[in-house]
Amino acid sequence: MTAFLRFEIMRSLRNVRFVVFIAGFPVLLYLIYAKQAGTFQGLTVAAVLMVSMAVWSGMGSAMFATGPQLAKERQNGWMRQLRVSPISAPRWFAAKVSQGLLLIIPGFVLLILLGFGYGHVHLAASRLAVFAVVLVLGVIPFCVLGLVIGLVFDGQTAQVAQMLTMLVLAFLGGIFIPYDHLPHVMQDIGKALPSYHLVQLGWNAVGGRPLGMAHVLALAAWAAALGLIVVWRWRQESTTA
Amino acid sequence: MTSTKRGATGPAVAFRDVVKVYHPHITALDDVSFDIQPGETVALLGPNGAGKSTAIDTMLGLRTPTSGEVRILGGSPAAAVGAGQIGGMLQTGGLPEGAKVGELAGLFRELYRDRRSTGELLALAGIAGLADRRVEQLSGGQTQRVRFALALAGNPELLFLDEPTAALDVAARRHFWRSVETIAAQGTTVLFATHYLDEADANASRIIVLNHGRVVADGTPARIKAFTAIRTLRFTTPAPDPSELLRLPGVSDVVVNGDAVTVRTGDADGTLPALYALGRQIKAMEVGGGGLEEALIALTSADNGGVKEGVS
Repeated sequence: MTAFLRFEIMRSLRNVRFVVFIAGFPVLLYLIYAKQAGTFQGLTVAAVLMVSMAVWSGMGSAMFATGPQLAKERQNGWMRQLRVSPISAPRWFAAKVSQGLLLIIPGFVLLILLGFGYGHVHLAASRLAVFAVVLVLGVIPFCVLGLVIGLVFDGQTAQVAQMLTMLVLAFLGGIFIPYDHLPHVMQDIGKALPSYHLVQLGWNAVGGRPLGMAHVLALAAWAAALGLIVVWRWRQESTTA
Repeated sequence: MTSTKRGATGPAVAFRDVVKVYHPHITALDDVSFDIQPGETVALLGPNGAGKSTAIDTMLGLRTPTSGEVRILGGSPAAAVGAGQIGGMLQTGGLPEGAKVGELAGLFRELYRDRRSTGELLALAGIAGLADRRVEQLSGGQTQRVRFALALAGNPELLFLDEPTAALDVAARRHFWRSVETIAAQGTTVLFATHYLDEADANASRIIVLNHGRVVADGTPARIKAFTAIRTLRFTTPAPDPSELLRLPGVSDVVVNGDAVTVRTGDADGTLPALYALGRQIKAMEVGGGGLEEALIALTSADNGGVKEGVS
């Protein structure tokens, strides 16, 4: 499994679109908006945005590792080749999720460095550690969501589906726009989304507040529900083929 | 690494009464049975749509038969795949973007626990110089050879190749079949699908001919090839006499329709001079056949559904 994981990570990092997506885009947004005055949830804009952009980057890496890439490789026959090799389905899943988790590291490190260096965020090491743990565990449902997209959609459609999903998750989850500015209906929808719970956990971690068990449970529920879809789709594909 | 591949006895592949029906009601395999013994190199020959790929996919565990049984090395296809005992080169197979050839080969070496080096593996597939190349930069033929290298990882006991030379030029084809020969000589059982009779003839010790999902012939290349010697002669002659024509050397059947005659012969070189020697007026002579299609017609029209046991 480690051989497969190493292989997958190497080739992901060569993908220019991916690197721009996880690093370029959030860094650019941070540079533009971090210097605004004001506070939100008891944090400076620079700190809030550091969390939001790290969450956005983490979501993106987690979903990229699995989503469109998987859809493409189901279509071009690579997945069939893998199914003829000795790697088992559970190991493959474990590797894919690990790939998603490990690939959030570059974006996370970059945004923390920016936050500290450019945004003058002051953060105790313990809070930073809690945030790191929250992010790593919190992107698991997004890894699984990527798998769902990769298994449900084909090739090009999967890319569009992934982008749309990302945007919906980011806007309605309150990552791009402060949450209170959204219309009420959208707030209600947004509160159900995993992105909302993850970014809330992030702000709580950085603000030194209790994390909130409800958020943790909501993310776990998302991961479980999406996991069921993955298993269902995977079985469907390997038996009716 | 060794030539003694396994201790167990029994066929490497046992295909018993296999039926595969795709909805809606397309029968890809229609009661197919055959055994392949360890060490054999077998060609699965047939036109497109004959069921070759479905048969191979079934053996690789990628598809489940509607009924019947497929056993690979004494167990289920999935067990053989999981144990790394089989290598497969599928008909279509893209490579994962962003990977280098050497990384791919290295990955498969580790998945299969192959003790050979990546370099050896690539050399066997004829792509020693491509290790640092990204897969997006490969030509069709190079991609095909990379896929061949992946199928060879782990030095499998059983190797499945589904139309493996489709994108290869003449030189690459030659190298490819030399590699297959080397692997077969080491004791690997090889099953490959092709729609070229020449390729099956030159590289297999046994040919199983599939058509419309059924085995229409199963025998040595020499036996199968005898069927391609069959020619169809079409001509017109006034008041043809079927019994006279049937006595000509090599003729197996005659169809008369007015002045038009169709004669099927296994020895056109003998039939034609004898036909002209009859002193009849022969017009509009056409000689057809000789290809796989013609052989398939001959095979499928043979009595009792084929020539599995019969004489040619």
